[in-house]
Amino acid sequence: MAKYSWPDTPALLGTPVTRLDGPDKVTGRARYSYDINRPGMIYGRIVRSPYPHARVVSVDLTAAQKAAGVKAALVYREPGTQVMYQGDPVAAVAADTEEHARDAARLVRVRYEPLPHLANVEQAMAADAPSVFPNGNVRAGARDETGDLAAGFAAAAHTVEQTYSTHVITHVCLETHGCVCEWDGDRLTAWISTQAVVQSAQQFAQALGIPQSNVHCITQYMGGGFGSKFGPDAQGIICAKLAKQANAPVKLMLDRKEEHLDTGNRPSATAHIRAGVASDGALTAFEAESWGTGGAGAPSGFPLPYIYNFPNRKRVHRDVYINAGLQRAMRAPGHPQGCFLTEILMDELADRVKMDPVAFRIKNLPPAGPNAMWAQYFRDGAKRFGWDRRHATGDPTPGPIKTGMGVSAHRWGGAGRGSHAHVDILSDGTAVVKCGTQDIGTGTRTIVAVVAAETFGLPVSGVKVEIGDSTLPFSGGSGGSTTAASVTPAIRVTCTDALDALFAKVAPTLGVPPTDLVAEGGRIHVKGNASKSVAWKDACKLIGTEPIAVDGQWQDGLSGAGTSGVQFAEASVDIETGIVRVTRILAMQDCGLIVDKLTAESQAYGGVIAAINFALFEDRILDRVTGQMVNPNMEWYLLAGMSDVPAIDIVLNNMPERGVIGIGEPPTVSTASAIANAVRNATGATIRSLPLHPHKVLAAIEQVRAGGTN
Amino acid sequence: MKSAGVTSIATAVTSVAVPDAGAQTGPAVLGPGDVPVTLTVNGARVDLKIEPRVTLLDALRTRADLTGNKRVCDRGTCGACTMIVDGRTVYACSTLAIEVQGKQIRTVEGLSSGNTLHPVQQAFCDVDALMCGFCTPGFVVATVAVLEKHPNATREQISKGLDGNICRCGTFVRIMEAALKARGVVRG
Repeated sequence: MAKYSWPDTPALLGTPVTRLDGPDKVTGRARYSYDINRPGMIYGRIVRSPYPHARVVSVDLTAAQKAAGVKAALVYREPGTQVMYQGDPVAAVAADTEEHARDAARLVRVRYEPLPHLANVEQAMAADAPSVFPNGNVRAGARDETGDLAAGFAAAAHTVEQTYSTHVITHVCLETHGCVCEWDGDRLTAWISTQAVVQSAQQFAQALGIPQSNVHCITQYMGGGFGSKFGPDAQGIICAKLAKQANAPVKLMLDRKEEHLDTGNRPSATAHIRAGVASDGALTAFEAESWGTGGAGAPSGFPLPYIYNFPNRKRVHRDVYINAGLQRAMRAPGHPQGCFLTEILMDELADRVKMDPVAFRIKNLPPAGPNAMWAQYFRDGAKRFGWDRRHATGDPTPGPIKTGMGVSAHRWGGAGRGSHAHVDILSDGTAVVKCGTQDIGTGTRTIVAVVAAETFGLPVSGVKVEIGDSTLPFSGGSGGSTTAASVTPAIRVTCTDALDALFAKVAPTLGVPPTDLVAEGGRIHVKGNASKSVAWKDACKLIGTEPIAVDGQWQDGLSGAGTSGVQFAEASVDIETGIVRVTRILAMQDCGLIVDKLTAESQAYGGVIAAINFALFEDRILDRVTGQMVNPNMEWYLLAGMSDVPAIDIVLNNMPERGVIGIGEPPTVSTASAIANAVRNATGATIRSLPLHPHKVLAAIEQVRAGGTN
Repeated sequence: MKSAGVTSIATAVTSVAVPDAGAQTGPAVLGPGDVPVTLTVNGARVDLKIEPRVTLLDALRTRADLTGNKRVCDRGTCGACTMIVDGRTVYACSTLAIEVQGKQIRTVEGLSSGNTLHPVQQAFCDVDALMCGFCTPGFVVATVAVLEKHPNATREQISKGLDGNICRCGTFVRIMEAALKARGVVRG
């Protein structure tokens, strides 16, 4: 047996454990970066380009510097350079109050020479488009080809040829990006809202030209990132520079409009697809030309086709650049797009061969495996969801409210990687676990405690957790659903070694070799003889003044990679208004060994709800003439409220033998596709682009009524 | 492509409008500049010197170090700043501090006593009705307000009472669970 492994009969792992920092968060005691108030602190404010594309002619700070309360001002974008999107940072000020900082920012006189801009993909791809980007507005992306496409289409009994697309959405982190920066000589402390506390320190150091050891980043609580918060960004560097200039701590948190414009987004995706299916329902061929925009110079890749086995396929992708904020990773980057483009097509193909969508999907799956459990989830999920009550495409019941069901599958990688940890066991029985990871709302703080407590045989409350600080042992950024799989093995390894050290101290008093000891129920006892034992606290008294102090790191064998999931959706559509309501969702999901059932389930609920937003509500809308975002707020950038949330049934498949795998991303991938397929099943009209806004639903229904094939 | 080919120099400076106090009639004009404002927050008196344009939320967050309620949308949409003023929920980001002088203001900080959580806060913790926690104070206050008005609120009443709040992590299912669990425990 490997030295490091998960217990066969865990006391805590996989049970519901309430969040360690719950009480701090519900009382308002938790201090987020936004909440840090330092003595003498002043407020930073960024001046941003109102133009989607322009040359900065001059920046005059004079009036701003003379304004009430102003302590610092700087030019961020030198004259002669170009701004490439609305919201591109140009200058910044800092003043004694937020109100004064806003006033002063308005007094910064920036002269721009507006340049031709591209407000959407169509404009960028047009034959007569102005050349806005140095190496072209359109750049070749991924290209892959497998099998014999001609033979595949020759074998097809039916083909479907359509264009599918998804839209741009923004992360809408409730705590906006930003930080509080405070200098002590050439040492910087930054309370920063980030998913990567150590890397933030690294990036601050690089940008400011100081040693990384001089930067201290702190993120005890963080109000959402979803892939958009991996470093200080422009606002962090600006904040540090303003603080240096003013010789005072500066708080610079972005406002809601800035957050929409300049902190990332999920790129759009479009694909013109031709696909073939044989008369027996086997997929034969897939040919796609795809494109998408990640804004002003960022890529837009996504997997296509998604999951299903098209033996002969060809795909050519192009990245299209427009004058809009740059994309960043957003919860399962690429997958919701690739999933939607493929899964709507799958329902259309299933209809051609008159097969049930579940049976059709099962027939065309890649081989099953621990990371490819779709067939089982389709079968079990169909039963649990009542799929046998699904009618054929088009709800035959009278009246304006039509109901339907849809299904969709997804996958995600996950996987662990190097993460370090340190454990101290003190003579008073205190166990302190330290790791330079951060809790971005996923429950990392809690699962660190669960793993340590499990290892030491203590209750969760018996462990003290220190995370969210760049001076702690290295751990990576929280992204890609890798945190749980990176951090928990490091904690398990380190705690196991620390426990061995404690066993060595205790063994003589119990008269057995250390290897004969186990820790459980708050005691250390001899294997197979629970009566021969000593309480944890008494055992720790043997430690003396020099604590047990152990460093350790992630090792292979405790974490896994690759998850699969299937989701079912039921939706009702008012065919007179086009309004879609999701009524039920079933999510079948695995994530390896479940550490904390409660927080794992919350992740799944959250993923599903995020995808309902993606499917029905949110949409970054740029004015096609001015290139300005028309809804940079939270009233016209729509997000679900309590009344929009359906009944959600989460089924987590605990697979302890696979080790820990993350769950942040997978549950958000396929929900939107399942909803769109449910709308198709309800109305008989196929909507091939997200979001499913009422006008699109009505237009699709109208097209069907008019006798079109839709 | 209205702007294609345009090369004229434009300027993005807007001048700050200065209100002409003399031209106004009606209520007395306060400011510009700091004015004394006295608030009653969680039963305690808070004396501030702030500009009249400062919101209740900003006054408490940046001048009184009461940072429990959050600033998220800053224009009365998301509910993260929800406070209870004279028994009614308000968006503190869209309420001026000077407007609520003499009124009883309750923030998330005023709900627990010592280490004892309010039943709504306890229910949120028990069922994991929070993730990143940034919307949580607003939801907790809004839930308290609903249950004080309707101690045995129906699912529909809770839903309606919380529809002015937005969560981005997606904790709604468990917020509903927490609210249902706290029913009957909160006194109206």
